[in-house]
Amino acid sequence: MRPGRAVASFDSATGTLRALSRFLHGRDVPLIGQGPAALEGVASAVLGGAARLPRALQEKAYAVSGWAEAVPMRRVPELRSGDLARWVTGHYPRRPYPVAFIGSSNGAMIHLAAALSAPWLPQTLLLPVRRHGVRPDDPEGDLARTRTAGRALLDANPDLVLHHMHDANQDRLMIAGMTYFRVKWRRLAAAYRAFLESSLPPGATLVVVDCALRWPTTTVGERHVFQHGALGGATRQEYEHGGPRVADYLARYRAGRSRWEYPPADGDSPEAEWGFEPGLLADLEDLAERNRWRLVRMRFGEPEDLSPVVADLYRSWYRRRGLPGDRLLVESFLLMEPWWALRSGSVPYWMVFNTEQSLAHAQAYLDRAESFDEIRIVLFSHGVESIGLASAEDWRRMLARARKVGVFTGVDTRAYPRDFASLARAHRELARIHTTYPMPLPLEWSLTEEFLAKRDELEWHG
Amino acid sequence: MPLEPLTHSVMDLTMASWRRRGPGPPVVCVHGAGVSSREMLPLVEVLGRTHDTWSLDLPGFGHSDRPDDLPTVAGLADAVAAWLDAAGLARPCLLGGSFGCQVAVDVAARFAGRTGALVLVGPTVDPHARSAVRLVGQWLRNSVRESPGMTPLNVADYRDAGLRRVLASFGASLRDRIEDKLLYVDVPVLVVRGGKDRMVSQAWAEQVTRLLPRGRLSVMDGLPHMVPYRDPHGLAREVAAFLREAGS
Repeated sequence: MRPGRAVASFDSATGTLRALSRFLHGRDVPLIGQGPAALEGVASAVLGGAARLPRALQEKAYAVSGWAEAVPMRRVPELRSGDLARWVTGHYPRRPYPVAFIGSSNGAMIHLAAALSAPWLPQTLLLPVRRHGVRPDDPEGDLARTRTAGRALLDANPDLVLHHMHDANQDRLMIAGMTYFRVKWRRLAAAYRAFLESSLPPGATLVVVDCALRWPTTTVGERHVFQHGALGGATRQEYEHGGPRVADYLARYRAGRSRWEYPPADGDSPEAEWGFEPGLLADLEDLAERNRWRLVRMRFGEPEDLSPVVADLYRSWYRRRGLPGDRLLVESFLLMEPWWALRSGSVPYWMVFNTEQSLAHAQAYLDRAESFDEIRIVLFSHGVESIGLASAEDWRRMLARARKVGVFTGVDTRAYPRDFASLARAHRELARIHTTYPMPLPLEWSLTEEFLAKRDELEWHG
Repeated sequence: MPLEPLTHSVMDLTMASWRRRGPGPPVVCVHGAGVSSREMLPLVEVLGRTHDTWSLDLPGFGHSDRPDDLPTVAGLADAVAAWLDAAGLARPCLLGGSFGCQVAVDVAARFAGRTGALVLVGPTVDPHARSAVRLVGQWLRNSVRESPGMTPLNVADYRDAGLRRVLASFGASLRDRIEDKLLYVDVPVLVVRGGKDRMVSQAWAEQVTRLLPRGRLSVMDGLPHMVPYRDPHGLAREVAAFLREAGS
């Protein structure tokens, strides 16, 4: 099975990889990097038309789109981590880089990497696996049905840790017909090693993107954990013990239960999607020493800790270049546009997802930052009225903080959160902003490191 | 309170207007190309409950006299400025619809101190789309979303003005470089765009706002170009909130 086929396209890691690698090739990200800009009009019309279908049909179509791209369970043992790593490195142009990133996926980090014109290698990939006969609100059933396939995957790939993740809150539609296997490299893949050795000259810096976020898990076997829910609108306690918001959500979706039953948690692990698995560090230290690179560890507590740091970095960079730096582009999940952020002179602020917590973080950033003339927001639609999702009205209040232009970009507020056409519209509308600026030369790494090392949000070990 | 029909003599012409005297500060509506106050009256009805709201027929259109000359933006703006004096309105808010925005901007830019604020609803014309063919295409695409009740009003307006004058007003709209004047509008301005307006793109509405020193954009979801006719209540709320803030 081709690695590009096995890895989920609609995931933070691949979204990030596509956006950054396209940027390094001098390209923007129409249709989230999945198709040419010429098709945007058609895609937007088709998906916009789908928004008028009955809700059940829309949800079904979304679930089927996820199922269609998932790996049949019998083929899971065929997957090889070496192929996945080669597929990843194949995205990037081969040239010398003064700095490279490896580790956690993070939308703010790709704007950092884009500013530096540096590549990033993901530690984690999502392998969606087809699975039938389990309802979304039955995590134990999900684990029971997929446990053997998980074991087979791990036996064939001793360098991987499997974080089987079950989030019936945010992934409700997707997990109807598939399950989420997130794999993390605990040893450095040969293709990663080869790519880094051919790209980083002696004296270069290798930055480990180390998100310290952990989440309750149940140990299934060696290198195999089952994660209870995920970072997003609901809390760890709500996944574990339920609560009024969970009961209300399950009643709204007629789940026939008032809370989820996870197998008992026996600890926590690096969060499946965002967290860094420190097992990889030993190989990275070795490699850096042998190649006379500096190894720097950029550690932060939660994914969004990096967002205000990168936003401030961009703003100060724009000011140095004599640009106003008065536009803010608020991005969500895998809707990221490093090329248009720079082209439009926008300060990027990335959010994990469109949740109330992310909204609160973004508001806190706006409280501290000098006010913006323009605020744009793109919102990823996952099709679920999930716990803790912020409403279009909530986002509108944030947009009202712009001095002049506070607008949704590519969002049909009446269809949200089932506004699937936003995938096509977000880029199209960004690309139409009238006033744009020349693309800058890459930021200098030494100045950037100085800036980052001073920030309280980050632990800087170098 | 009913609508009052009024006339004023301005530059040897009689100019017709409608007024509903609300308690709040004055707002004067300026209609689009080829049409007249007819499309603005629903808004006057609603906004007039809270504000001293007027709608004015530009010379050559609706119930105003027809001058010998064909309309130009500068000529119409001169007439509006003179009419403001005749009506005794000091620094009112001018609310333009479509081409009316171009006239309102010309008044604000060239007659400093005569207006207190502007509301630009669907400001024309995007310089990226400055061609008659494109304009017609956009007008057709937009028209499917407009209220069918507006068509007989448009027909009456075109009959009043005559084909030559209607076409001349479209020509004036295309020739006017609104983007060059926005910088000189020093009063607070609310730019309003209908979310489904096919004549005024989102990017252009943003650019208009950006070029205005004191501009602010409001996008009204799901509405076509003629917001004042399609959603007078929603627009009246936006205008009232804007004037409250601008006045404070």
